Amino acid sequence: MTDVIGTSAVRIDARAKATGDAIYGVDHNEVGQLHGALLRSPVPSGTITRLDTAAALAIEGVEGVFTAADAPDTRAGWIVKDQTLFARGSVRYEGEPIAIVVAETRKLAKQAVKAIDLEITPGPVVATIEDAMAEDAPLVHPDVASYEMAAPFELHGGGNVVATTILDTGGVDEAFAAADRVVEGVYTTPRHYQAYMEPKNTVVSYEDGRFIIHSAHQFPFNLRDRVAQFMGVRPSDIRVIGHHIGGAFGGKLDAGLEPQAALAAKLTRRPVNIRNDRLEDMLTCPMRENAVIRMRSALSASGEVLAREVECTIDAGAHAGETPGLTNVPMHMSASVYKVGAARVVGRAVYTNTAPTGAFRGVSGPYLIFALERHIDEIADELGVDRRQYRLDHLYEDGAVAPNEQVYDNAGILRDAFDAVEQTAPWASTGKGPLRGVGVAAAIWPTNPMAGGVTLRLNEDGRLTVVTAANDNGSGAVTMGVAQIAAAQLGIDVSDVVVTMPDTDAAAFDAGSQGSRTTHIVGRAVADAGEGLRAQIAQVAAGLLEASPDDIEIDNGSVYVRGVPAKTMGLADVGGAATFSVGPLQESASYASTPPQFNPGCVAGPLMFPALTTVTYHLHLAEVEVDPGTGHVTVTRYVVAQDVGTAINPAGVRGQVQGGVVQGLGYSLFEGISLDGGRIRQRTFEQCRMPLAVDVPDVELIALENPHADGPFGAKGVAEAPIAPVAGAVANAVADAIGAPINHLPITPESVLQAIQTART
Amino acid sequence: MKLEMNVNGTDRAVEIDAHDSLLDVLRDVLHLTGTKEACGEGECGACTVIVDGVPVNSCIRAAMTADGATVTTVEGLADGDELSGLQRAFLDNAGIQCGFCTPGLLMTLTALHDNEPHPDRELVKKAIVGNLCRCTGYSQVIEAAVSAGTGGGEV
Repeated sequence: MTDVIGTSAVRIDARAKATGDAIYGVDHNEVGQLHGALLRSPVPSGTITRLDTAAALAIEGVEGVFTAADAPDTRAGWIVKDQTLFARGSVRYEGEPIAIVVAETRKLAKQAVKAIDLEITPGPVVATIEDAMAEDAPLVHPDVASYEMAAPFELHGGGNVVATTILDTGGVDEAFAAADRVVEGVYTTPRHYQAYMEPKNTVVSYEDGRFIIHSAHQFPFNLRDRVAQFMGVRPSDIRVIGHHIGGAFGGKLDAGLEPQAALAAKLTRRPVNIRNDRLEDMLTCPMRENAVIRMRSALSASGEVLAREVECTIDAGAHAGETPGLTNVPMHMSASVYKVGAARVVGRAVYTNTAPTGAFRGVSGPYLIFALERHIDEIADELGVDRRQYRLDHLYEDGAVAPNEQVYDNAGILRDAFDAVEQTAPWASTGKGPLRGVGVAAAIWPTNPMAGGVTLRLNEDGRLTVVTAANDNGSGAVTMGVAQIAAAQLGIDVSDVVVTMPDTDAAAFDAGSQGSRTTHIVGRAVADAGEGLRAQIAQVAAGLLEASPDDIEIDNGSVYVRGVPAKTMGLADVGGAATFSVGPLQESASYASTPPQFNPGCVAGPLMFPALTTVTYHLHLAEVEVDPGTGHVTVTRYVVAQDVGTAINPAGVRGQVQGGVVQGLGYSLFEGISLDGGRIRQRTFEQCRMPLAVDVPDVELIALENPHADGPFGAKGVAEAPIAPVAGAVANAVADAIGAPINHLPITPESVLQAIQTART
Repeated sequence: MKLEMNVNGTDRAVEIDAHDSLLDVLRDVLHLTGTKEACGEGECGACTVIVDGVPVNSCIRAAMTADGATVTTVEGLADGDELSGLQRAFLDNAGIQCGFCTPGLLMTLTALHDNEPHPDRELVKKAIVGNLCRCTGYSQVIEAAVSAGTGGGEV
């Protein structure tokens, strides 16, 4: 039944989600649970001079109030252990947890938080990247040198700099000295809130020395490890059980409320249920980081880029989180797609007294591609050549060598993408007319390579159970991708595939729903385990049907003896017979991508992603119209040509592209999260201004199928990339429409009017 | 205080506090957890239910104002195992991703279909301006709503 591959099968969780049956994290309750609420720092920086919980504890129905004084003296973190469970002595960002109240009702817990007597003497605020880099800047973490590492990386930090990654091919200074001309630009981008619909939540119990954590989480094994660090226990002392996730987009990859709830559950011996209200979620969610990108290119007389120099500084906020790894991204995304000679790329993350930042779909890609594609338009304008033609003249081809010396064997797909978009939206006739413009942006995008394992089990009724800690954050990667791959491998209907929710006690390690890895990595593990399970089925069926295992065929939920149509039985008969004789039929497999070759001699830093794995190729085209009176930008047309590997579920692929592009339009045009003295200004969904149905076009998707040899049925990653090129394409289109540069996001009506005004004067 | 209302075809009488929202009562008292809270301040539409034929944000609707009302939640759309036409269309048009906004969208669009059985795309878009969806980018939701109105045909 491999014909299920490439069909738009209904996702296996759709019915539960359409009827209200689906239990999300926030719908889960435990018997005897208490409700928690956090006291969070109201200021970005300061010293705690008074923290008296007596009045809160005295309230009837309050079962406990816990602070750093009650917590283990531990530090935790994804890469650097720079976090404590509660603020100890000082606070480093607005929203930092200071205490947890647990009470019989949520309302009571919230009220009791207000009864805690808290006094903070405000301290100096490192509010911006510039503040952090200033020579005499106060240090956000004065003791950073004494912090332990959680991952074996060289950070190359110091002062407020958390980490630095440097790529240097050599020859950059010589190339700039010999350049015919130099083009340079500065590009700045804001934070971006994931704005998943389900606020963070958890229910944690403490049983027999172990923590049982219910959480709608993207990366249960990472959560397990983080809570273990905070609580000072072994990772296997933690059990994480997943539930339906109401959106995540990278914001639920690290611990949220679980560590504080775990402490309270241990100290009260009652399950603790806690959830963020929307304001708390906005103030503390690890948003996409704000960034400043400086880019200069040395051009030859004929327009080749002899060398490029890039400096990208990102705001990690008060904790490093995943950002040291993100300093690797600039070297991939700011000097590729279009040929460059020499390159020197510095990626740097800095501490500030702001909420910690982290992963949001596409991580650093959206702002780096924005900077690169704006820069390419500026180079073309400087040379007086057509912007599309310049790109085609300098585009990567098959076998292109990136600055880290990674070879992109199939980079010629980029030209296929340009050709395909040209067929749909011819450059010569797009974006024409007063205050209309067109822009393009391209990308080379990785599929996260990290490992995952699965077990396939044939039930006595012939249905298949996939035991996995992989989770569906909404993308369909599990409920379409993995389910359809499993169905295809075993020759059964998709509705006969059951996929478990994550349970770190029961399922093998899985690296979570990040970087579009699930369909490719977990799908491959399913395909491999499926091969083994088929062999087991054939063995058992051969005995039952008195045939050779080599002659057994498996399809349509049954087994057949090749050439003998009468000899057949259902998979249920095989599964049942095996279960009660030789034992249940099950097979496990794991998979991780092979790391690509690169030259380690030209890069230094915390190398989480020194090369890009299982890449895909992308071209986006945006057409816009600008209202000269208001500055409002309308996206009139949006075209995507995307290398999708094999589209396991075409409707699912389309949904990921439409959804990713629309998030990108929000980032480009509406959603700038801004900071004032270290505090986030936008405090409601309305102020965040996400796109509505009336704001966005239907994306025209051209799916380019280029199956990958290692992918299950050729599948590669799909869902992350569509957000990445959007800001570049839209900014180029707006700049084209108004004849003035747009080098800052978001492109608000005010900024458009200002750009028009500046261009006139 | 006592609140009496008809929820999904059943008469219910519950004790409530004067400041309880309709959402609190539905989720915490009647255990109808299909209705979701995403913002708690009437900005996202995830908590939409139909009260006397009108879609409302139940998170900012005082429960006591629903006394005597007829309330429909997402749990009331299907007839046993038989999905409503709109629910079926959401499945068939891939209109669901994470699904957290889905109950609210279904209620808003059910109310639309009750008044306008064959809405076009523009009408659907306008109807759901109060419903935020962060996953889908709306296209497949809109197609589902139009398709349900045309009996599942081409949109």
